[in-house]
Amino acid sequence: MNRQWKNHLDQLIFLGPACLLLAMFLLAPIVVNFLVAFTEMAQTIHFDNFPTTRQFEKLGKLDSDALFGFELRRSFFKALALSGTFVFFTLLFFNLSFALILALTTTAMPERLGSFFRAVWLLPRMSPSVVYGLLWLWVVDSSERGLFNQIWTFFGGETLNLRLDFSMAVIVVSNGLIGASLGMVIFTSAIRSIPIQLFHAARADGAGSFALIRYIILPALRWPISYITIYQALALLVSFEYIFLIMGPARQTMTMAMLSYTKTLAPQIGGGQYAYGAAIALILIVIGIIAALGMWRLTKMDRLLQRPRIEVR
Amino acid sequence: MTPDQVEENRTIKWQKAAIRSRRRRHWKLAALTIFLSVVSIPILLAYLWMITIAFTAKTGGVETATLWIAASILTPTLIIYAVIHNIEDLPNKRRWGWGLIGVGFAIGVVLLWDEFHLGNFRFMINPNLVEDIRGVATAGGQFPWVWEAFFNSLFLASVQTVIVVTVSSFAGYYLSRFAFTGRSLFLQSLLVLQAFPAITLVIPIFLIVYWVGLVNTIYAPILVITALELPFFIFIMKGFFDAVPWDIEMSAMTDGASRRQAFRMVILPQVRVGLIAVGVFAFIKGWEEYVFVTGLTTGQSYTVMSTYLYYVSEDVMGVDYGIVAAVAVLYLLPALLLYLACQKYLTQMTLGGVKG
Repeated sequence: MNRQWKNHLDQLIFLGPACLLLAMFLLAPIVVNFLVAFTEMAQTIHFDNFPTTRQFEKLGKLDSDALFGFELRRSFFKALALSGTFVFFTLLFFNLSFALILALTTTAMPERLGSFFRAVWLLPRMSPSVVYGLLWLWVVDSSERGLFNQIWTFFGGETLNLRLDFSMAVIVVSNGLIGASLGMVIFTSAIRSIPIQLFHAARADGAGSFALIRYIILPALRWPISYITIYQALALLVSFEYIFLIMGPARQTMTMAMLSYTKTLAPQIGGGQYAYGAAIALILIVIGIIAALGMWRLTKMDRLLQRPRIEVR
Repeated sequence: MTPDQVEENRTIKWQKAAIRSRRRRHWKLAALTIFLSVVSIPILLAYLWMITIAFTAKTGGVETATLWIAASILTPTLIIYAVIHNIEDLPNKRRWGWGLIGVGFAIGVVLLWDEFHLGNFRFMINPNLVEDIRGVATAGGQFPWVWEAFFNSLFLASVQTVIVVTVSSFAGYYLSRFAFTGRSLFLQSLLVLQAFPAITLVIPIFLIVYWVGLVNTIYAPILVITALELPFFIFIMKGFFDAVPWDIEMSAMTDGASRRQAFRMVILPQVRVGLIAVGVFAFIKGWEEYVFVTGLTTGQSYTVMSTYLYYVSEDVMGVDYGIVAAVAVLYLLPALLLYLACQKYLTQMTLGGVKG
């Protein structure tokens, strides 16, 4: 066996399986989704009437008088607005602010106690999604048996139907409790990687806790924070699993991702309108590709190419 | 004034300053602990509730009293646990902590002994849950035994873990060590793929799985989940391989090992921690999978734990909280134990170890 041939064989053995899997279930689907979005595929899996823009006409119609040259249909506009609200509040309150608070507080205490609290906050992420969804269903149960209502009525309130009356708050908090842990882990390790001498020097110069946070920790967290912002905004925009498990196909929480899912593959209620779902997914995919490229550019992710950024001690 | 007195007035009272500063640190720590405990209680309470229901609820209702007894034991235990950790020069902290947990558990057992029963776990020995609850010959009598779902889940998660660990360590090693044309392009596209939200592709993935004839087989979710997680795991493994010095490999090869032998016998043992971390993540992902299991099947061709629990809670919910909670505990336990056992690897992951 000559040398070059052997090198190619090596490459095939080591990279081949990864390439095959990625091509088949990650790259090909992007192309397929693009094609399907321009068909009328529904119920049966045929490429009917390719190409057609029928599906996109369900989302909005061209209108030269409108601001952007097109006018969105009501249902789609509502989905868009719900997606925006959901992403904005979850990101702001939990995935960024609360994650930062958790990272700051748990790193300011003895290591074992801090990691105990971090473990508690990772619990929802590590639990199976159906279990987590079930817990939420029981917590917000509208009868007096629901955990929230047990506490609420104890303090003299009337029983509340949170799923019906505060549906957006329910999905924001339920997704936020999971989302906060990712930021927490990443911010924690970023804070840990700050040289300890900096803190000692600042302390010796008379800096208090808040000065330390403001002038040492936050500047060091600039790039992780921007990374988390984009990454989590994207993840929340496309996520539907917990919304579906907790809210079902409720109208008040029909975000874009939920709309695409419930019209196609959702168990029992999925309508098999593949082309319509694919058209909505196409919008999310385009946003996803742009954000993924933007993240790579904006946050100098190419540093990853040189230096590994994961360490397990 | 004598020179001695002057000296005394000038010096800072170090002893006092140290005491003051130590006291301030204790107060700060106490405040932080209280804050974190308060915000963590909702999470802990919900899980505690599920566990108490599983072990105490009788058919037809939920005893709320047991939850409050359990909570009133848990809260002081937690507080004392935190206090113990805040005492600086206490020897054998770990032993104290475990002792405390033991005492709390014992008090709980004594107080809740009358309520405690294992009846809700009868689904584990009774193959026909629906018949048991609703009487013979009701709709949905085809409901499988829980162990079938359990072992399906175990199979799905394990096979997926093996594939993920193998493929990602192969690719990670090659990307870390070999120069080949297109390496940087490959790495960069991998980076973009890693950030790309793959869950948006559920519809076209269903179509592809349908075309290759894997719909309704358990291999479909195995392959799909593997592929979607790969870019992330390849990067983790590449990071671990990067951290292994070249010299080790070189000396192995000078001693006559081939490249592949060096990889297998010298390098792989060096990245054991990485293999564990990737394996645990992959297993938990496979164990919990719901969307791609339900999405890639038409009808109910096989049951895994996620779909089992979902249908149990949908069908039986109003009737019996206890059984649903017991199923949930059985489902949660393996993932939880694995997570607790390997927690030290997982929580230490730094940037690049990103999952959304």
